[in-house]
Amino acid sequence: MITRPQVRFGMALLGCMLVLTAGQTFASAPNAYEEASSGYFRDQDTLPGTYLQYRQSKEFGGSFWGLGPGGGDLKRSSFNADAHENIYGYGVRSCVSCHEENRYDLHSSRGQITCIQCHRGRPIAGVFHYYSAMNPIRRHAYVCAKCHEGASASFATYVIHEPPPLAAATANEFPLFYYASWFMVILAVGVFSIFIPYVLLWGLRELIARFTGRRRHNHA
Amino acid sequence: MLSNVKRFTTVQMMFHFALIITFMLLSVTGLAWMYIETGWGQSLASPFGGYIGALEWHRNTGLALLALFAIHIVYSIWNIDWNNFPASLLSRDSMVFQWRDVKDVFLHLGWIFGLSKGPQFDRWSWWEKFDYWAVWWGLIIVGITGLMLYNPVLSSDYMPGWLLNVALWVHRIEAVLAMAHIFTIHFFIEHWRPHCFPFSATMFEGSKDIRHLREEHPAWVARLEAEGRLEQVLVAPAPIPLRILYFGVGYALIGLGVFLLVFGLINVALLTLKL
Repeated sequence: MITRPQVRFGMALLGCMLVLTAGQTFASAPNAYEEASSGYFRDQDTLPGTYLQYRQSKEFGGSFWGLGPGGGDLKRSSFNADAHENIYGYGVRSCVSCHEENRYDLHSSRGQITCIQCHRGRPIAGVFHYYSAMNPIRRHAYVCAKCHEGASASFATYVIHEPPPLAAATANEFPLFYYASWFMVILAVGVFSIFIPYVLLWGLRELIARFTGRRRHNHA
Repeated sequence: MLSNVKRFTTVQMMFHFALIITFMLLSVTGLAWMYIETGWGQSLASPFGGYIGALEWHRNTGLALLALFAIHIVYSIWNIDWNNFPASLLSRDSMVFQWRDVKDVFLHLGWIFGLSKGPQFDRWSWWEKFDYWAVWWGLIIVGITGLMLYNPVLSSDYMPGWLLNVALWVHRIEAVLAMAHIFTIHFFIEHWRPHCFPFSATMFEGSKDIRHLREEHPAWVARLEAEGRLEQVLVAPAPIPLRILYFGVGYALIGLGVFLLVFGLINVALLTLKL
């Protein structure tokens, strides 16, 4: 004879199985982030964490006493699945009509690389969107390595859209880039601002010495 | 007639000539890449088979120059007078900057403005020392950044990849500084100022007319005479055909430098690089 506690236990067991089975079904469905992307990285990735980790990680400018890149403002749209959501007239514009500052980078002006060869897929995901190929955790493998065989995560921290090295804002965006460039420019300008007037006056002095008929050089 | 004073050894002249060849190759291929967006840059690259070939030449020539630099460092250490070290570093034949050179700069300035008699240069004047050490400082900067950029995928295994952004701009600015300095200041001081015009072959011939040296390096000639060593360092000037060759090769290289400088300046507005 089946006792009441045994019935209760059986019901509970059945309930647990139902819940577990339901859980199983639920887990294999795409989550909200994934649904918005290609879903391509589903097998490899875990769920999105905090975005701030990228600004603190070694690969993303946090090393070298904060002298690396990544100090500038981050756009909210860089975290969206569709970085250009709600941009008016987006469909008929070219990339550089808005991103004018990125028109001439070494990759585009010399490598003849087009924007979507790196910012790939439709819609174009923000570079920090969790499932974007451009996300720093996988950028080296899915984007850089297409041409640069063997590219590492460190390699992928090279700043493609580098700011103008001498611009004031660069001091905050990429400090070492700014200070190293200024150091070199000051060195170069310093050398020429001393030597050019110096040798011109020197040449003039030798010319005068020649025409006044005195002995030609400096112990005349 | 032995009218010239020996100034450079054959090894030193070979170092300088190898430096000229590698420097010019690096200048042409480097500017070809920097100006590749312009017609001028493309024509600079064409003898090397376009920009890929030009970059390959740039990398290999850069390695050759660094090897030359390494050999020169060994040579310099080898040639230090170790018996009289460290005093020998401050001898009058030494390339090391000394307090005397600082005084010479001001005496020289005084002479330019007609205020003083002018310095009595010994073996090396201050600008000769400056030009010598400028190659060291330039090669250290350009060499380190060049090695970083040689294989970016490999080098970023040992440093953050974003250092390549820094390395490329430092490499570029130092290279432009070096080229502009050689193609204006160095050429002017050694060849174009009235006392040397039109061409000084000392670095090809290894020796210089004693009359010229009595004016430019009077303390050195006086010292050689006082020590009774002048006879030992007197040599005959090179024969005329050789001097014509020195002039021809020298002016071909000077012309190349001036061509790079002038066309680089003309085309600079067409560059999309933003400083």
